[in-house]
Amino acid sequence: MKKWVVALVLLHLSIFPLAAQERVELFGYFESQIMGTEIKSNFYHLYTNKLRVDLKSRLSESIVFAANFDYITYHGKTQWNILDFLAPTVASSVPQGMEDFYVLPFSDRSFLDNAYIRFSHRYFDLTVGKQQISLGTGYVWNPTDVFNIKDPVDPTYEQPGHNGVRLDMVLGSAYTLTALYLPEDTWKNSAKLIQLKGRISHFDYAFIAIEKVWRFHDYTRFDVGSMNFLELSERRQLLGASTAGELFGLGVWAEYGYNRMEDSEDFCELVVGTDYTFDFQTHVMIEYYRNTLGKTDYEKYTLTDWMCLFAAEQKAVSRDHVYVFIQHPVTDFLSLGLQTIHSLSDRSFALVPTLNYSLSENVDVMAYVNVNVGKKGQLFSKIIGDGGLLRARVYF
Amino acid sequence: MNASKELKIRGGQAMRNLSLSVVIVLFFVPVLSGQELTGEEIIQEVNELLSPSTSYAQTKMTIVTTSGKKRTFVFDSWSKNEGEKNLVRYLETKRVKDQATLMLNHADDIWMYFPRTQRVRKLATHAKKQKMQGSDFSYEDMGSGDAFVTDFSPERLEDEKKEGYDCYKLELTRKPESDIFYSRLSIWVIKENFLPIVIDYYDEDDPSYLEKTLVQSDIRMIDNIPTAMKAVMTNKNDDTQTEIELLEVRYNVPLDDDMFTERNLKR
Repeated sequence: MKKWVVALVLLHLSIFPLAAQERVELFGYFESQIMGTEIKSNFYHLYTNKLRVDLKSRLSESIVFAANFDYITYHGKTQWNILDFLAPTVASSVPQGMEDFYVLPFSDRSFLDNAYIRFSHRYFDLTVGKQQISLGTGYVWNPTDVFNIKDPVDPTYEQPGHNGVRLDMVLGSAYTLTALYLPEDTWKNSAKLIQLKGRISHFDYAFIAIEKVWRFHDYTRFDVGSMNFLELSERRQLLGASTAGELFGLGVWAEYGYNRMEDSEDFCELVVGTDYTFDFQTHVMIEYYRNTLGKTDYEKYTLTDWMCLFAAEQKAVSRDHVYVFIQHPVTDFLSLGLQTIHSLSDRSFALVPTLNYSLSENVDVMAYVNVNVGKKGQLFSKIIGDGGLLRARVYF
Repeated sequence: MNASKELKIRGGQAMRNLSLSVVIVLFFVPVLSGQELTGEEIIQEVNELLSPSTSYAQTKMTIVTTSGKKRTFVFDSWSKNEGEKNLVRYLETKRVKDQATLMLNHADDIWMYFPRTQRVRKLATHAKKQKMQGSDFSYEDMGSGDAFVTDFSPERLEDEKKEGYDCYKLELTRKPESDIFYSRLSIWVIKENFLPIVIDYYDEDDPSYLEKTLVQSDIRMIDNIPTAMKAVMTNKNDDTQTEIELLEVRYNVPLDDDMFTERNLKR
């Protein structure tokens, strides 16, 4: 509560002096959505209202200030027991008496999502503050992005801001060197990134190195001190590369990250994708994703694996995946599509028909239904819950 | 001072020829005797006149659907190197504000910037087939400025009067090696200034099927260049229509190369 009051006051203090100068742009959106999921033959709803207010001001020739504040309210079923989504064999590994800790609550929240100042010079941009970090060329999965995890069903949804200092230096007309520092309590614990991006012929490519402390939890052990699951942390060093371009008329992209771990076993991630638009406007996309941290046998998925997946601490529990997306504009303002996400490792998949409709100039409607096809314990099984989502968004 | 700043100080500048069609711009040239001109010479004149060295425009684009629903977008666009480099940045609607598209090498390289995710995505050339914001203009229509001469073989037909102007009529047939998405074009070019006043676009696979028609109007002299301030693209296939209106145009303005980079796309 205290946090959002402080954020609101800061935003208020920021907006009004800027607005007084008549140089601040105020914009954003209101989003209302209903999400439904079937659990044990009952269908439950979670309603969400989100107000996002953006402001942007060019303070001088070379300085820009931008921020956005989010206020989100939740209604309906706001307490979800994760154990309801797990196979009995996995749920049975919950320590006795700890069942209540596996409830995921959705509480109203408001926060300063992004707030940064950018100083631009002919040869560099310096961005300081909370800012979005978008790395890699993958559409659904990004092996080189250790800061965000996308929702495979909704991969283009905006990611949260991260506090950091970013320097983008121009090296000629086709190259950019990026250095990013995300401060934690000490230099050693802080995340550091360096990336070289360039272009050869019709291909973009990037080489990237990242060091950060990866924080996750052991969801079978409880830490009385923090009144939470036991936090584990480990230094992670990533070396990666990505590319995007065109081959034989197809859009192609690839992304690879090798993760050197301080204590546990090293692992790597790989994404390869392609897309094409037919003359009749239908767009088809296929993306393959491998994560060697994932398992090939679904019976070996542990409680902690699932919890890390739900808590967005880990990108995958299974090793190999394929995402297929087909979309066709039925009219100028209505597009119908079908997404499928397959776990090649456990042979389960989700079918996700989608609809996007532009109701008016500044009102969008998006809907999808997800149907899981798999055995109990597999990544996409009925127990995970068939359901859907309907979202309306008004831009202002 | 960066290029976009320079533009603002100069009060805006010129837009590049938006391709095969859209905003048609012409340098003033002496009127040649039409009797001696071949199809190749006419289309060469058209192509040169459609390719100012640099340009800026602010454009209003209105899409009209079959049911009469309308969507209006406003965007700034900049062009350099006779249309080889293009940048489009949306001002309105709120939904697409700050979205931007960078097209280099006559739209053989396309990058799109999505401000809400602050992500730049490289698109392959097939993406040029996609409609621009659901309009009747594809990205190819917006970026392939030299396509008249590089992708088509012209043939001069009998002169005709069109939209009240004495015109050369040309038939442009797609070259076998071209991968452009129209099998042929019929173009009516105003004799007085080489401005294409009407263009018929025929289906990629069926040269007899008329897919779209562009009609330009409201011709004014801007910086001594005849400019069609309005254009309407009618899609016969979908029974939809997109109107383009130039709100501001400037030609031959200084534009820094830095403007046509991924870095500037995000600004």
